[in-house]
Amino acid sequence: MDVNTSKREICVAVIGKENAPLYLLTADPAAELQFHYTVHTALDVVEEKLAATGKTAADSRELYLGALYSTEEHRVFGYATNTKIKFIIVVEAANVSIRDNEIRTMFRRLHAAYTDMVCNPFYLPARPITARAFDRTVRQMVTGAS
Amino acid sequence: MNRSVDPKKVNSELFTLTYGALVVQLLNDLESVEDVNKHLDRMGYNIGVRLVEDFIARSSADKCYDLRETADKLQAAFRMYLGISPSIANWAPAGDEFSLMIDTNPLTEFVELPDTCSNMRYSAILPGMVRGACEMVHLEVSSWFVQDQLRGDPVTELRVKFIKRLEDSVPPGED
Repeated sequence: MDVNTSKREICVAVIGKENAPLYLLTADPAAELQFHYTVHTALDVVEEKLAATGKTAADSRELYLGALYSTEEHRVFGYATNTKIKFIIVVEAANVSIRDNEIRTMFRRLHAAYTDMVCNPFYLPARPITARAFDRTVRQMVTGAS
Repeated sequence: MNRSVDPKKVNSELFTLTYGALVVQLLNDLESVEDVNKHLDRMGYNIGVRLVEDFIARSSADKCYDLRETADKLQAAFRMYLGISPSIANWAPAGDEFSLMIDTNPLTEFVELPDTCSNMRYSAILPGMVRGACEMVHLEVSSWFVQDQLRGDPVTELRVKFIKRLEDSVPPGED
């Protein structure tokens, strides 16, 4: 990991149907708790967005929710599957080079990895995710995406 | 990444998931990894003794005169029923033992063994089938996994060992 990537804080979280955290990975393990708060806050925005799209019955196949909110340090993006599993990605606000499209691609990869993981017969739905293959994919995204 | 194109692919996923559900259900019922291994093997045996009939009818396979021919037949059967072509390797010097090397095992596509099941032979149904099928054509073999991708090995290696020819033509279980 070079200086550049280690500088760039990023966090990936998977939240279950009932808003229980299933998985959270941060580039810096010490900051994990803080990201739990950030992600938790983001869930309110996710709910709001989902309720809004539900009313208009807009394109239900668009799972990407866009930027949820930004603080001084972070920008938070959301994605909700049709089974109400939420993916949250947090990037540094200072990192302006990251584009919407890249975030979209990351979410799509995350969704694919999640789908494969759910197909593991030993995984019980709505339990915290411990699968090694899933962890590996997400780690690649966190460390190698910049 | 596009998951909705190939209808054949969906079928194989359904098959994979069905087998996975079966294994996990067995594990829940029996609560012992060793028993699950035994059960899968027995189920494979029961499938094998029936499936060989179908295989012979469909492939119009001839009688085998040595184990190499048997190995080729087994390879053809894997291609016919599982859509994979394992390669045959690691012949024992005496010619009575060989391995089927499976590089993509369709049964284990999404599977990750939890730590509590590290000695589970997830695909134990396969050696059972080989044993059952060979028994019906008067070959007593034993079959087991030497390597398994689920346990971190580079390939899945299914070993088949010839034991003896069964001269008695009475089918098992009908004395």
